[in-house]
Amino acid sequence: MIYKFNFCIILFFCVGNLFSQNTSKASLFGNISDNSGQALEGVNVILVDENKGVVTNAKGFYHLKNISEGKHNIKISYLGFKSFQKEINFEVGAEVQLNIELEEGSFELETVNLNGKSAVRKINEQAYTVNSISTRALQNSTTDAKQILNRVPGVRILQDGGLGSDLDFSLNGFSGDQVKFFLNGIPMDNFGSSFNLASIPVNSIERIDVYKGVVPVWLGTDALGGAVNIITNQKNDFLDVSYSFGSFNTHRTSVNGAYTNDSGFTVRGNINHNYSDNNYEVLVDRKDVNGNVVERNVWSERFHDRYRSISANIETGWVNTEFADQLLFGIIASGDDTQIQTGATMESVYGSVVNESKSVIPTLKFKKKDFLFEGFDVSLNSALNIVENKIIDTLTGKRFDWFGNTLETGSETDGELGEASLLTLDNTEFTSQINASYLFDDKHSLVFNHGFQYFHQERFDPLNPDRIANQFPNSLYKNVLGLAYKYNFNQKWNATVFGKAYLLNLETSKEFDFGEQTRRTDVFEASKQNFGYGLATSYFILPNLQLKASYEHTYRLPTATEVFGNGLFVTANAELEPEQSDNFNFGATYDFSLGNTKQHKFNLGSNFIYREAKDLIFQVVTLSSPQTNYSNLAEIRTLGVENNLNYTWKNFFELSTNMTYQNSTDRAKFTYNDFSGYQENFNFGERLPNRPYLFGNANARFNFRNIGLDDSKLQVSYRYNFVEEFFLSWSRFGNQNTKAVIPQQSSHDFELTYNFQNNKYNVGIECRNFTDEILYDKFRLQKPGRAFYVKFRYAIN
Amino acid sequence: MFSTNSFKKISLAFLSLLGVFSFTSCSDDDDNVTSDDNSVTIPAEGKPYVMSMAIQGSEGNFTYYTVPFESLMEGTLSAEGQGFEQPGYYDFTQIDQTIYSIGGLDDVNVVGISKNDNQLVQVGDVSYDVSLDDVVDADENTVVSVSMGSDSDVLTFRTFNKNTLNSTSEKTVQTSEFINVENAGPSYSGMVVTDNHLFLSYYISNPETFATDYTDQAEIAVFSYPELEFQEVITDGRVGPIGGFSVKSGLIKDENDNVYAVSHSNPANGFSQSTKPSGILKINSGETDFDPNYFFDIEEATGGNNTAHLKYLGNGRAFAEINVASRPQQEMWSDGPLQSAIVDLEAQTVNYIDGIPEHPGLGRRLNALQDGNFIYTSVSEDDGIYIYETNLQTGTAERGAEVQASFPAGIFKL
Repeated sequence: MIYKFNFCIILFFCVGNLFSQNTSKASLFGNISDNSGQALEGVNVILVDENKGVVTNAKGFYHLKNISEGKHNIKISYLGFKSFQKEINFEVGAEVQLNIELEEGSFELETVNLNGKSAVRKINEQAYTVNSISTRALQNSTTDAKQILNRVPGVRILQDGGLGSDLDFSLNGFSGDQVKFFLNGIPMDNFGSSFNLASIPVNSIERIDVYKGVVPVWLGTDALGGAVNIITNQKNDFLDVSYSFGSFNTHRTSVNGAYTNDSGFTVRGNINHNYSDNNYEVLVDRKDVNGNVVERNVWSERFHDRYRSISANIETGWVNTEFADQLLFGIIASGDDTQIQTGATMESVYGSVVNESKSVIPTLKFKKKDFLFEGFDVSLNSALNIVENKIIDTLTGKRFDWFGNTLETGSETDGELGEASLLTLDNTEFTSQINASYLFDDKHSLVFNHGFQYFHQERFDPLNPDRIANQFPNSLYKNVLGLAYKYNFNQKWNATVFGKAYLLNLETSKEFDFGEQTRRTDVFEASKQNFGYGLATSYFILPNLQLKASYEHTYRLPTATEVFGNGLFVTANAELEPEQSDNFNFGATYDFSLGNTKQHKFNLGSNFIYREAKDLIFQVVTLSSPQTNYSNLAEIRTLGVENNLNYTWKNFFELSTNMTYQNSTDRAKFTYNDFSGYQENFNFGERLPNRPYLFGNANARFNFRNIGLDDSKLQVSYRYNFVEEFFLSWSRFGNQNTKAVIPQQSSHDFELTYNFQNNKYNVGIECRNFTDEILYDKFRLQKPGRAFYVKFRYAIN
Repeated sequence: MFSTNSFKKISLAFLSLLGVFSFTSCSDDDDNVTSDDNSVTIPAEGKPYVMSMAIQGSEGNFTYYTVPFESLMEGTLSAEGQGFEQPGYYDFTQIDQTIYSIGGLDDVNVVGISKNDNQLVQVGDVSYDVSLDDVVDADENTVVSVSMGSDSDVLTFRTFNKNTLNSTSEKTVQTSEFINVENAGPSYSGMVVTDNHLFLSYYISNPETFATDYTDQAEIAVFSYPELEFQEVITDGRVGPIGGFSVKSGLIKDENDNVYAVSHSNPANGFSQSTKPSGILKINSGETDFDPNYFFDIEEATGGNNTAHLKYLGNGRAFAEINVASRPQQEMWSDGPLQSAIVDLEAQTVNYIDGIPEHPGLGRRLNALQDGNFIYTSVSEDDGIYIYETNLQTGTAERGAEVQASFPAGIFKL
C-alpha cells in the first residue's frame, strides 16, 4: 500500500529524435535520475506490449534496442518512486532519447512484467504484500526508523518510554521473534540493542520494506508473521550530514556518505550518535516512606532515563566492476548505555539500573548479475555479530521513588531488580544468505536461497559466577532453504510458488556435580525439520486496478532457550515444535484522477489479512512449582483490514491516510496449568488484551516552491496518529467499570522544513504531540508530551 | 471462472471497505487519568459469598476477578461481566470482614475488599516493589505483613491499619540475626501473631536451586509484638522444618492462642531431602517454646501420609488436605494427590471427608471457607472445578456449583 506518496511523478521529460539511421529497428535510450539529478541505478525500463526491458546502469543510463515500428507503451519503474508510463510512436530506425526524473514517493511494489534476461532483478518480490516506504520526503525530519515504521498500516510499535527505550514491534498481531528484521538483507535480530530501530536516523535509510505475512524466499528466514528490511543509502557518491537537537536534551548527529572512483573502488557508510536525557514529565503517585499513596497524579520528571548510543557502519570495496556488481567489506561497530527508569509498569521506579550493549559486526556483501552465464544472478550477504549485553544492577540497599528520593532497605544483597547482579551476555552469531536466481526465458524464472545462522550465547556474572544458569551456554544452527518459481502468464498476471525447508540444530551443555569428583559436562542436542510453502500472485484488471493475493504456510523455529530452558527451573522440552502459521493476504489498489486537467489524483488501497497461528510457544504456568518449561500452547487467529487513501492536488497539496483494524482472537481450545491440567479456554474467541486493534494515521503536506530564495522549497506537514481504546486484560470477564483500560489516544505532530540550493541546505522544525496529550504504551507506560526539535542538514549528491 | 467484469466488481466492492475504515472521529477521552478516588464498588445485593477467580489466557497471563455470588451450591460460578478485575498475580486472604488481595503486575499492592450497603468496595492506596509473602491478623486494628526470600539478607515486616488499609510502620530485620548458613536463606512458610509475640516459621533453601539442605530441625523465629523486635529462634529436633514452598500454612492458631506448627518436608512441597519424620508440634498459649509433651504423629494417624495444608476450624479441629502419597512416592513440587480430611489436634485423629474425591495439589494457599457448620472448598476434577460443601457434623460432603476459572484463588463470605 502506498504510504508516503507523491503523485506528480514527472518533473520533466523530454522526447526527441536525435538521429535517424537506416536500421530497420528503432531504439530508446536515456538517463533516469531522481528529482535532485542523482542517477538511479537498476530502474526498469519496459516496453510493456513487447515484453522487453532493460535496467539502468550505475550512471542511470539505459538503452533499449530492437524496437519495432509503431506505437509502444513505455513503463519506467523503480522501488520507492512512482512509475512513469508513456506511449511513444517509433518510426523505422528511430533512436529516441527519453530522460526521466522520477519523483520521490513510496509505494507498494508494483507488479512489473518483464522480459529480457537482464531485467528481472530486484522485482522478484513483486506479488508479495509489501509496504515500501521511501524516506526521501522525510530526510529533513527528526524522525527515525521506529517512527517511520509506526505509520505503516498493520504495524504498531509499543515503547517503554522515550528515545532508546525498549520497543516491541508488532506486525498484524505478530511480534518478538515472529517478525524478522534485516539491514540490507542481513538478519539484524542479534545486532544488539545499540543498533536498533530507534537508533537509526532517517538520513541513513533509503527505504524500508515491510513484508506482511508472506516473506519472499530471498530473505531466507523463519519469520512467522513477516519481515522488515531496512535499506540504507545505496548511492555511490554523496554526503549527508545532519544534526538535530530538541526537548529533553536530545541530540542526534548523522553523517552519511559514499565515494566511488572511476575504477569502481568505493568507501561508504554512516556514523550516528544519539543522546537524550528523556527527562520528560510523567503523572505519578506520591508515596510516603511506608508505601502509602499520599497524592495522586503528580507531575514528576523522569530522572534516570538517559540514553546514548553511537554506531558506525563503514563499507569499502568495489561496485560496478567486471568481477562484481558489488563486493563490499564492512564493519558495523556500535555501543549504547541506557539507564532504566521503570519496570513493566510505572509503579516500579529504578534509580541505578543500567543496560549496556556493544556490538562489532564485520560484514561481506557480493552481488553479480549474469554470473558465469547470462540470466544467472548471485548474491551473498554474510555477517558475524559479536555482541555483549550487560545488565548492571549493583546498587544494594536502596529503593527510589519518583522524586529521586532514596529509601534504605537495610539489605546488602538486594539490588533494585532482585539479587544484585552484573550479568553479561555474550552473543556470537554468524549469518549468511546466498541467493541465486536464473531467468529461463520471458515467462519462467527460478530463485534459490540458502540462509544460515549460527548463534551462541554465554552468560557471565561476576557477582554470581556459580549460578547454574550462568554455566549453561547454548548454540543454535539454523538453515533455511528456499526455492521459488515464478511464471508470467501474460503482462497482467504473474504467479510465484515457493517452498522453504527449515532445518534447526540446537546444542547445549550442562554441568553436573559442580565442585565434586564426578563433575562433568554433558552435551544435549536437538534437531527439527519443517517444510513451508506459499504462493503469491498479482493481476491487473485494469491498468490502474491491481489485485494481489498471497499465502504462506510458515514456521518460526524455537530458540535454544525455548528448547533447553535455562539449566535451572526452565526445563528442557525436547518435544517442542516450531510455531506455525497460515498467512493469507488479499489486496487491491486503484489509482484515478479527477478534474479537467486531472489535477486531483487519488490512490486507494485495501488489504485484507488472515492469520491462523498455531503451536505458539509460551511458558507453562505452574502454581505448585517454580519449575516450568516452554510449550506449544496458544493458537491465535487474526483477521484484519488495512486501508489507505491518498490524494494530491497538483504539486502543492498531499494527503495520505491509513487505517488498520486487526482483530486477534485466542483460538486455543484449552489452557494448561498444573492445577487444573488441560481445561476449557475461558477466553476462547476473545480478542487478545493489551494490544491495539484499531489505529490509523493521517499526513497532510503543503509544498511551497521558491519562497524567499530561488531553488528553495518550504514544506509544512501535519501528522495525526490515532489508537482506539483497548482493554489491558481479557474483555469477557469482570465488571466493566472495574476493568483497566488503555484510553483512546490521539496525537498531533507539526513540521516545517525549508531547503535551498536544491536540497543542499536544509533546516527542519518539528513539534511532536503539540496538543500535549497523555500517551501510553504497554502497561500504561507514559510517553513524552509536547516536544520540539530542530534539525540542520547539509547534503550533496 | 470469474469474468473480468465480476472480478472488477468484487475488487471495487473490496476497495469500498475504505469508506468504512478510513476515517474515524477523534474524540478527547482521557478517562480516569486524573481521578483522585481510588475506591471501586460493584453491586452485591443478596450475594453473601465472594469468590476470587484466576482466569488464564492461552498465552499464560492471569487476571483475577473477585465476584459476589448468591450461592456456592448451584449452577455455574462465572466472572463473565462481573467482579473486580485485577491483572497480574494475586494472593487472597480474609481477615475479619475484609478480603486482602495482595499482588500486582509489577509492583505489589495491598487491596482490601469489604461489603458496604449491599455493595462490594475495593480500596487500597499502598504498594511496594517487593512482594509480600503474607498478611496475618495481629490485633484489633492491625494486620501485619512479611516480605522475605532465600536470596535476601533482610526480612521486612509492615503493619497496616485494618480500617484505612494504610501502612503504619515498617520494620527491617537482618536475617543473619537468626540464621547463618552458606548459599541458602530462609523462605516464608507461616506466621501467626498472639497476644505479645509474632511467630514466623521458615524453611531454608538455596535461592537458585531451591535445594533444602537443612532439614534436621524445626525452626521458628520469635519476635515481640507490637515492637517486632527479634527475640529468639526456637528449634525442635523431633521433626524437620515447619511448612514448605508456597502454601503458607506452616503455623495455625486456635481460639486460645495455642500455636500449632506442621512439618512435612515433602518433596511435593519443595523439599529436595527429608531427614526427620513429619508431625505437628504445639506452642502453648503465652509460651515461646515447643511443648515437649505434644507431638501429633500424623504419619501414624494416616498410615504414612502427612499434610501441608491446615485450616483451623474451632474446638481443636482443623480442615486438612492430606497428601495421600507417602514422601518417597511423591512427585517433586506436585503438592498432591490430596484427600480432604478433618483432623482433631487434641485427639490426634484424621477423618477423611466422605464425598470429596482425591484431587490434585493446590500449589498455593488453601482456599476454604468456614460458614457455620459447613466448610466450602474447591476441587479440580477431570470435567471441571467444583465447589464441595462439607458438613462438619457428619463429615460428609456434597458437590456444588461448577467454577468457571483456571483456578479459584479464594472463597469468602462477607
